[in-house]
Amino acid sequence: MNALSIAGLRKTYGSVAAVDGIDLEIPKGCVFGLLGPNGAGKSTTFKCVLGLIRASAGRVLFAGAPLEPGAFERIAYVPERSVLYDWMSVREHIAYMQSNFSGFDPARARELLAQLGVGDERKKVRALSKGMRTATAVALAFARRIDLLLLDEPTSGLDPVNQRTVLNLIINEAAQGTTVVFSSHQIGQVERAAERIAVMQRGRIILEGVVDDLKAGRKIVEGILPSDDFSINGLASDARIARLERNGRILRAYVTEQPDAIAERMSALGAQGLRVVDLSLEDIFLDAVAPKAATASIVEGV
Amino acid sequence: MPVIFTVDPRSGIPIYLQIIEQVKRSVALGLLAPGEQLPTVKQLALDLTVNPNTVARAYRDLEHDAVIETASGRGSFVRANGSADSASIAAGRDVARSEIDGAVRAAKSLGLERAAVTELFETSLDRWLPEES
Repeated sequence: MNALSIAGLRKTYGSVAAVDGIDLEIPKGCVFGLLGPNGAGKSTTFKCVLGLIRASAGRVLFAGAPLEPGAFERIAYVPERSVLYDWMSVREHIAYMQSNFSGFDPARARELLAQLGVGDERKKVRALSKGMRTATAVALAFARRIDLLLLDEPTSGLDPVNQRTVLNLIINEAAQGTTVVFSSHQIGQVERAAERIAVMQRGRIILEGVVDDLKAGRKIVEGILPSDDFSINGLASDARIARLERNGRILRAYVTEQPDAIAERMSALGAQGLRVVDLSLEDIFLDAVAPKAATASIVEGV
Repeated sequence: MPVIFTVDPRSGIPIYLQIIEQVKRSVALGLLAPGEQLPTVKQLALDLTVNPNTVARAYRDLEHDAVIETASGRGSFVRANGSADSASIAAGRDVARSEIDGAVRAAKSLGLERAAVTELFETSLDRWLPEES
C-alpha cells in the first residue's frame, strides 16, 4: 500500500485550473521530488492534499485511508511561507509543539536547531532572518515522530551548509522508512535526495519517474550522415525518439529510452561518429518544460 | 572506514551505476578486500548525500553480480567464497569489459574496419601488457 495516493486532483479558481487533474502514487519510504516553474501548482497541490484548501475534485489517500484529524499526528508539513508566530520565541514554539504533538521530541528539536545554527532559543521569531525561520520550521518538523513529511521549498533562504544539513536530514528520515515529498527549485538537491520526481507545469504533471531511470533512458544520440540529402526514413516514427533535429549531415535524436539501441539503429542506417550525450536532471527538466531551451552538458563517446 | 566512494549526482550517469562502478573498481584494486564489510545503505547514503533507495539498488545489483553478499541483520560484505581473489578478478573484468566495449564502439563509429581495430588493440596490448620474453 502506498504512503500517499492521489487521483484526479483538481483545484479551480473560476475558470483557471491551478491543479488540473493530478495522479500520483508515492510508495512508503520514498523521497519524492516535486519540480516545476513558479506558478506550476506545486504549493496548491500540497495544500489540497492536506485539506488546507478544498480541492474541486479528486481523491487523496494516506496509507490507504482518507485524511482524518488524527492523521496529522503522523504527518508533518513545512509550507513555503513560515507558519511560525512572529511574537513567540523559539523556546515558546518548542513548548507549543510539545503540547500539540505527542511524538514531538524537544531534545531532538534543540539538537537540530543547534545543528542548523539557531543558537539562542529565547529569540523572538520576528528577530530571525528568513533563513533562520526556515531552519526553525524544518527543525521543529524533523523533531516529530512521523510517517509522512511534506516540505514545500524546505531549503529556500538557507546557506549551502544548512542546505546540505537539511538534505541529510531528509535522507536520514527516508532511511528509517519515512516518506518524504518535497518541492524545490534547486534541481541539484532533488537530484541527490529524491528517488522519484514529478515535473509540474500549468497544473499538470508533464514528466514523472525514478531519477536514475530517467537519466538512463533520456539521452541525445548524435550521428553524422553520409550526405545532406541522406534519407533517414523510418527513424522519425520510432516511439523511443521524442524528436529529431537535423542540420545538414548532423542528426540528433532526443531519446526517451534505450539510447544504445537507437545508436545501433542509426549506425545500421549509415550514420557515423555516433555519440550518446548524457543529460543531467536539469537538462531533462528544461527539455520537459521548454523543449527548445535544453542543452547538452556531459559528453561521452560511443 | 574511510570514504572511498565519490559520485557526481549532477552527471547524466545514473547514481546507482556510479556506485556499482566504484565498488567494483575498489574491489578489483583491493581497496575493499574479500570479506570486508561495506558501509550500511544508510551510512553510504549520508556520506554521499544521495537517496538511500538508490544506494540499496546499487547493493542489490552488486549482489546479483556476485561482487558482494548481504547477511540479513549483519550488513553487506565483499564476497569471499571460492579462491581468495575471485571477486576482485570478476569485478575488474566487469569494469574493464565496459571500457573496452565502449572503445570498440567508438572505433566502429569512426568508420574503422575490424582489421584496423585489431591492430590498434595489439599496439595497446604490446605497450601495456607485453608478453614475457
